[in-house]
Amino acid sequence: MIELPVLEDSPESADPTQNRFWRSISHLKGSEEFSRMNGGEFLPGASDGPLAEGSGGATRRQFIQLMGASMAMAGLTACRKPVEAIVPFSHMPEDRVPGVPVQYATSMPFRGTLHPLLVESYDGRPTKVEGNPDHPDSHGATHLFEQASILALYDPDRLGTVRNAGAVSDWAAFRSFVSGLPTSTRIAVLAEPSSSMTMAIVRRQMQQRFAAVRWVDYHGTVGNNAAQGVSAAYGRSARVRHHVENARVILSLDADLFGSAGSDPVAAARGFAAGRDPESMNGMNRLYVVESGTSITGGMADHRLRLKSSEVASFAAAVAAELGAWSGNAGTHASHAWVSEVAADLRNAGSSALVVAGDHQPAGVHALAAAINDRLGAVGTTVNYLDASDASDDSAATMDALVADMSAGNVDLVLTLGVNPVYDHPAFADAYASVAHRVHFGFYFDETANGATWVVPQAHYLESWGDGRSRSGVPGVIQPLIAPLYADAHSDIEVIGLFATGTDMPGYEMVRATWRDMIRGSFDSSWRKVIHDGFADLPGYASARVSLSASGVNAAAAALDLGAHSGVEVVITPDSKVFDGRFANNVWLQELPEPTTKVVWDNVAMMNPATAERLGVGAKLDGGKYLADVVSVEAGGASIELPVWIQPGMADDSVHVSLGYGRDITSERPERSTNFFDLDDYTDVYGKGAVSTGVGANAAPLMTAGAIATATVSKAGEGYMVASTQDHGAIDAPHVGEEVKKRGLFRMATLQEYRSNPDFVKGGEPAAIKEDWSDYPTLWEANHPKESEVMTSSHYHENQWGMVIDLNTCTGCNACVVACQAENNIQVVGKSEVARGREMHWLRLDRYFVSGDGSSYEDPQMVIQPMPCQHCENAPCEQVCPVAATVHSPDGTNQMIYNRCIGTRYCANNCPFKVRRFNFFNWTKTLPQTLHMASNPNVTVRSRGVMEKCSFCIQRIRGANKVANVENRSLQDGEVVTACQQVCPANAITFGDVSNPDSAVSRKRQSDRRYELLAELNIKPRVSYLGRVRNPNPNLA
Amino acid sequence: MPQIFPRKANVLPHLTLAGSLAGGVFAILFIWYYFSPEYTDVGYAPEQPVEYSHRLHAGQLGLDCQYCHTNVKDAAHSNVPATQTCMNCHSQVRTESLKLLPVRESWATGESIEWIKVHKLPDYAQFSHAVHTNNGVGCESCHGRIDQMEVVFQAEPLSMGWCLECHRNPEQFLRPNSEITTMGYEYPDDFVQQNLQRIAAEDIQPPTNCSACHY
Repeated sequence: MIELPVLEDSPESADPTQNRFWRSISHLKGSEEFSRMNGGEFLPGASDGPLAEGSGGATRRQFIQLMGASMAMAGLTACRKPVEAIVPFSHMPEDRVPGVPVQYATSMPFRGTLHPLLVESYDGRPTKVEGNPDHPDSHGATHLFEQASILALYDPDRLGTVRNAGAVSDWAAFRSFVSGLPTSTRIAVLAEPSSSMTMAIVRRQMQQRFAAVRWVDYHGTVGNNAAQGVSAAYGRSARVRHHVENARVILSLDADLFGSAGSDPVAAARGFAAGRDPESMNGMNRLYVVESGTSITGGMADHRLRLKSSEVASFAAAVAAELGAWSGNAGTHASHAWVSEVAADLRNAGSSALVVAGDHQPAGVHALAAAINDRLGAVGTTVNYLDASDASDDSAATMDALVADMSAGNVDLVLTLGVNPVYDHPAFADAYASVAHRVHFGFYFDETANGATWVVPQAHYLESWGDGRSRSGVPGVIQPLIAPLYADAHSDIEVIGLFATGTDMPGYEMVRATWRDMIRGSFDSSWRKVIHDGFADLPGYASARVSLSASGVNAAAAALDLGAHSGVEVVITPDSKVFDGRFANNVWLQELPEPTTKVVWDNVAMMNPATAERLGVGAKLDGGKYLADVVSVEAGGASIELPVWIQPGMADDSVHVSLGYGRDITSERPERSTNFFDLDDYTDVYGKGAVSTGVGANAAPLMTAGAIATATVSKAGEGYMVASTQDHGAIDAPHVGEEVKKRGLFRMATLQEYRSNPDFVKGGEPAAIKEDWSDYPTLWEANHPKESEVMTSSHYHENQWGMVIDLNTCTGCNACVVACQAENNIQVVGKSEVARGREMHWLRLDRYFVSGDGSSYEDPQMVIQPMPCQHCENAPCEQVCPVAATVHSPDGTNQMIYNRCIGTRYCANNCPFKVRRFNFFNWTKTLPQTLHMASNPNVTVRSRGVMEKCSFCIQRIRGANKVANVENRSLQDGEVVTACQQVCPANAITFGDVSNPDSAVSRKRQSDRRYELLAELNIKPRVSYLGRVRNPNPNLA
Repeated sequence: MPQIFPRKANVLPHLTLAGSLAGGVFAILFIWYYFSPEYTDVGYAPEQPVEYSHRLHAGQLGLDCQYCHTNVKDAAHSNVPATQTCMNCHSQVRTESLKLLPVRESWATGESIEWIKVHKLPDYAQFSHAVHTNNGVGCESCHGRIDQMEVVFQAEPLSMGWCLECHRNPEQFLRPNSEITTMGYEYPDDFVQQNLQRIAAEDIQPPTNCSACHY
């Protein structure tokens, strides 16, 4: 056996002023529990047998039953393979080749705009979403909601039939109800703001048919403070668009620019990355973040200031006053050390400065940000105001008036069009029952459906025709890829079309009619081109003529409270995974580790250690999970109970709660029953009703006083199990952060340090472990197996695949994790399984806190490092597999051969990166039928007892190999794109052939910031990282 | 004390030993033969919804395989023809035949004919017809003498060992691309030399690493 020497503690690395990397407080403090959980091969409990929730485990009797049944079944299983049918078309459609995927351009409507997509369809079954690379707004990337939307199409909990008064009805009955409505009916429609041109037309038609139609732009809990701020500052409504790519100095006022819940995270991440090249002659941009929570934007910041959200307004006012953008009383932060420095930096950047306020900050802060941008001359370079027809600034007052009218009986029919106000607007819920006809149009039988008289199923965007405009206003179409899975499902324009005419209006006809008036020239050929491209080659929104109204800014800012805020505040924001709750039933998103807390399947009350200590609450690490105290959070006259989550780096006395949990969805699916000896239902997240029902608590009732509210927080219980992956897969167990630092897992420097020492990443490199390798000549030296005859004689040897991940631009936004899950048929295991360390994600994002001194853990930096399989050339996993189920391919990937794997798990044990995932159960056996349709047919669905891990998207490599083989040519650079690379909004991942010196990945590998992980072990990973370079302000350091 | 066992009982251990040895050998041979795809899968000839005879169409009438299986050179999956393809001829020929009733029904209603799959690879094995047919692997090499089959049956085991036989020694099996669909192709005497030349010229190197097929 090769005995690797244990790394010795070297005295210089124990220097307390050095950066320390840590995953959690338990890690930082070197708790015994952390050592225990990361000391073994797997997390404690990972290898235990199935335990029913709450029971004492499998009994002896159960065991005997199981074994007996297994023996009896063993003889029967090996008979014949099941009979399968081949079902060719009767009439073959032109140009269809069975088994060859086709991509269609379409768009996903989200938050009122269209997100341009290319969707892959296998034999009529959509399986994978990508950004539309030709679209000016998309850059070919998407964020995680677009990726996960494919699973929503196949969601087994979707509403399938029209319901009337609780009983199953059908579309025809609903149609006759609508056509029979007298024209005097007073109708109120609640709908999300929409950019759809067709919707605008049918909406007008509906308003003509009925005497009184009140249309309310419903913003729900997301709010529209930004639009109101712009209205206040400029005296007109316009859509604000930030051009981060033009910015040199960026100030974020509690804004999560890159998080999925941000207003335009893909463009922000792409733009930010463009200004982040330390080798560029123009230097790097600089990001200041003032925030109360720990967003991924804060993780990317060059300077981050912890400040309560309620005090961000006074900080904004102070900066505005300093820059002369506002003349009011500068508030409590006027003398803050940051204000003058940030203001000076912004002033120097001039028109290249950008100030962005968070969506949950009040309108006044947005108005101040607009005033600063205006003052600096940034309008036109980093900020654009667009004359968006659909930019609405409806305020909460509109909703209040509607609710009052509903209670007073002044509304005959209320139509909730794809929104869920009973869930997220408590006052609406009270008034709802006093309306005679309550029509709910939605994707699920949800909270609002519960009280509705008519419930109409909504078609998924991949099932329906529609149109609209992208964020910059480029008109595009929504094209269906599949007929509705449920016959009753209709699109929003079809429902409004029915209200407008009293008859069925097919979406296709309506959209075509709209576009007939929009495109010039021959309609048929132009229309075909629009359908093909997904958008029209027409200009987007024009820039709005804006001139700042000082009085408007003053009025908006006057409404702000600029004083100091003592006491605890609660900040309620849309969740980065389930948003405002609309994605709550999506298991990919539920199981996605939240980017900064790594919590899955829950919402938590986040607070920093000092606040928790003051409140007398805490959370204890226990195996792979946390046992947390439960707190009651009381604000705005309501209270909810949530488990505590201790998050270092947050502002003191700030408690963060995310929206979208505590859903109550009724599924039509019956509870599944299995044979007594079948323990697989234990692992099925779909086993008992709708998956989102009962996960977390609904924070919407706390919002009556706004997204930032004074709160009372008190302990209400203890021992709540929170599953978080933040301590899973720690590469560095024994000493706090020392291993990460010593082994140089994450290497970073400031721009100054980088310029004086461009090879800084080499500085952190431990010396390679030298021992007498003569015993293992083939492993380590010149005649490496990759150069052996069997490897070089293969065509595959021409390409040597490798990947470079740029830590300087990676924001840790999670889009890659969902894209990987969608591409590679990665299964979902549920909360209790994640708590045992059985999560299946192939791509793990390691989040480290970095603090200069072990004692001051309240204000750490936060960094995120993606960790896929490193595809080591000397892979430790390959050495120990007894059945050669994991071996090297001639093209340099570490192959995982599922059909050979017997599940010894030695490989996972020997993997220094802990990236291997084991199928402890057959996760797919009991999945509802529709979910199988979401699978990628080119990737094996793994079974129980099999190891799996990142394959570098081998199916895409082999697919390209086959095409090249038939066409008799070599692979071109860029022909193989991995799923994570394709989705990345920041372009942080480069993949390609490292043996081709001209390939993009080879050029990246020339960078002086490149390093490989654990190079001292001589495992030669094929994944390398580019060290992070920060650009701090020397005056603030 | 008298002996419990008679003397001849001494044979028992030897018999047991010999018996278990023989039994072991028998078990190995039994599994070797009866559990192999060559026994379990070869000859699988399920009844199809239409009594379609390849012997008649591909043999006696001499239709080329690609008349129906049009995508065999372009796609991983070699398509089973749409009803439309049948009706190209059978709207004129044998229009009254009872055997063709399901075909005419499918044509009239638009419903598919559900053919039973004969050649099944496991889900974890990825195979591309296009790559094989463009590199000189004949239909016959894997599917046998289809032109002589009244009912299609599996002629080869389609096991991994069988795949590798050719992947390791392609010169023993390849034929010119022009002869791909030929049934009963007679290899010329020097075909190994010809194949070796072609393999060198076209750089044909069938992969034998795992992830070539398994992913």
